Amino acid sequence: MRRLEARRQMEEANFLSSKARSQNLNPPIDLRMLDYVTAYDDNLMCPICRCPFLDPVVLAECDHCFCRDCIRQTWASTYSPLGPRGDCPSCRTPAKLGPRSATSKILVNITDDLLVRCPKSEDGCKAQVKRGEVQDHVNIYCGYAYMECTADDCELHVLRKDAAEGCLHFGVSCLDCRQSMQKASLETHWRVQCPDRKVSCELCKEAVFNREWDTHSRETCPAISIPCPGKVFGCNSRSKRSQADVHAKSCTFAKLTPMLTAMQQRMDEQEAAQKVMVRKLEVLEGGFQAVQTILSTKQEDPDQVGADESRIPLLTGRPHQRGDSGGMLDAMVVETDVGAFVFPPPSSSSRPSSELVHVRAGASLPPLYSAPMAPGPRPADLPEPFTMDFDMASPFPPPAANGPYISPLHHLLSMHESLRDEMSRMSAALQELDGRQSMQALNENLRTREEISYMAAQVAGLSRQVHWLTSAQLQRQQHGGAGRQAAGAAGPSGSDIAGAGAGVEAAVSTAASALRGAARIVNAGQGMTMRRGLSEEGRTKL
Amino acid sequence: MAGNKRIMKELAEVRTNPPPGCTVTLADENDMGTWDAVMDGPPDSPYTGGHYKIQITLPKEYPFKPPQLSFKTKIYHPNVSNDDRGAMCLGMLRPDEWKPPNKIADVLRLVRSVLAAPQPDDAVEQGIADQFKNDRKSFDKVAKEWVGRYAK
Repeated sequence: MRRLEARRQMEEANFLSSKARSQNLNPPIDLRMLDYVTAYDDNLMCPICRCPFLDPVVLAECDHCFCRDCIRQTWASTYSPLGPRGDCPSCRTPAKLGPRSATSKILVNITDDLLVRCPKSEDGCKAQVKRGEVQDHVNIYCGYAYMECTADDCELHVLRKDAAEGCLHFGVSCLDCRQSMQKASLETHWRVQCPDRKVSCELCKEAVFNREWDTHSRETCPAISIPCPGKVFGCNSRSKRSQADVHAKSCTFAKLTPMLTAMQQRMDEQEAAQKVMVRKLEVLEGGFQAVQTILSTKQEDPDQVGADESRIPLLTGRPHQRGDSGGMLDAMVVETDVGAFVFPPPSSSSRPSSELVHVRAGASLPPLYSAPMAPGPRPADLPEPFTMDFDMASPFPPPAANGPYISPLHHLLSMHESLRDEMSRMSAALQELDGRQSMQALNENLRTREEISYMAAQVAGLSRQVHWLTSAQLQRQQHGGAGRQAAGAAGPSGSDIAGAGAGVEAAVSTAASALRGAARIVNAGQGMTMRRGLSEEGRTKL
Repeated sequence: MAGNKRIMKELAEVRTNPPPGCTVTLADENDMGTWDAVMDGPPDSPYTGGHYKIQITLPKEYPFKPPQLSFKTKIYHPNVSNDDRGAMCLGMLRPDEWKPPNKIADVLRLVRSVLAAPQPDDAVEQGIADQFKNDRKSFDKVAKEWVGRYAK
């Protein structure tokens, strides 16, 4: 019982699926993909899909008309729960699709009455039907639509036109190419696939192999009209391939074509070559200009080199004030700058115009670059017409060739410049240190001196007091001479006082001398500081 | 699918009745989504005599999404970016400004009118726009030079 039930269910499912398949055999037609036979007005065309309207709607707000699908798709991004709405694609008026958006029947009728080719036209159906009826045509009438095989036990599909011939699903083999297939698909095979089958060309009525069809239609079919070979040069005539020779014999353009093509080709080549030459010329001119600028800066009149110093980028804006410590140094530096910027030529005789510069450079360079060897002679001490072989004195390596020395020169100059900067920084630091030191010493000195003078004043007061006391004592002694003699008992006490007075005087004088010594020492200390300052100054100069 | 049909129609239309000074071809015969257009510089503009290759890329959602334009030939123009992309600033092509009824032929016509009359206030290349506004002569000169250099 249960088995019977299961079997019934299975059969039902099979039946349903075959039914579903038969519906899927001819899927709904995309009406936009149809090939329209009747020419239609542009006004019947949806501005979005550019096809005759399909289910047209009119926007009530602006009266613009679109296919319902097109406008829905346009508004797909602006979803609203109140139904499709958005801006009109033509005029941007805010609009919505409502129940009253459908257009009048007349537009629907006009568009549905347009004649279209059957979508199976590629398979062979020659029918032209109204667009509104094309789905029915395919579903019910078209001989090239698939339907289920009429045989009871066959579940395969067959073209409608072959359905009356009974079940065609048995194996056959193609007579031309020996390929085996089912009878139902033999016709399609013959028409498009079989390479060894001959089909007749519609234009020239000639039978052509399927595999040669492409070449035939493109190159050999005598009935296809081709343009004159001289078309590119102006002949607009077209003739059938078979008569092309006749035309070519009479056409001047065709006769000239080989020559003209050759000339064209040559012209193209020459133009390409010329383009390359122009590029080259540009590059060369650029290079030449660069060389010229280098030369013009190098061949400045040597007398003006010093004046031109500000034009050299490395030196512009460099402060020349280095404080009071290096007046002489500064002069030397300027001199050296001039020398350093004029790079020596490989041999002095080859460029007499730069002789003077050469000499100057020679004069000023050695002290700077031979710094390690003892305190070198100051440039001012050197005799003015100081000549020496530059190549020997110069720290630069002799240049290898007569080229623009821009890069090594610049490198050296920048190094030189950085060294100079370092030096100036160091000298400034030294000066500051020096100043601080001397100020400190001065301050200390001042205090000590004040103390000394205060002590000296005290000592002077003391000594005056002592002096006064002593003189008073002496007077009393003189007065008391008689008194002593008169009263001898007072004698020892008087001499005692005198002795004490002399002791005090001696102590005071010792203190004074000690103070003087201290002052001398302080003075000596000051002198020493001065000397140190001087020596530092000297070092800064160096 | 509908978009594809529309593209085919537009292509046929552009081929039979091209906008002035333009020729359109498919970059690849099997791909309807990329078009190559060659536009001649409009007369009475510094771009006269130049031929500009413009690549038009149609998105899958075309015509509901705008196509993308890029100049494959370098051009000295305030509204065309001066890089490999050669993107052009057209209000019509912005996603929020694009309208499905617009056709590629309309876009090409607009491009040509922008070539003829640059819009410096809506510029991509601000430097070129300033030069265009303040020193028209030297702008014309450079534009002509570029025509000779890149667009022959």
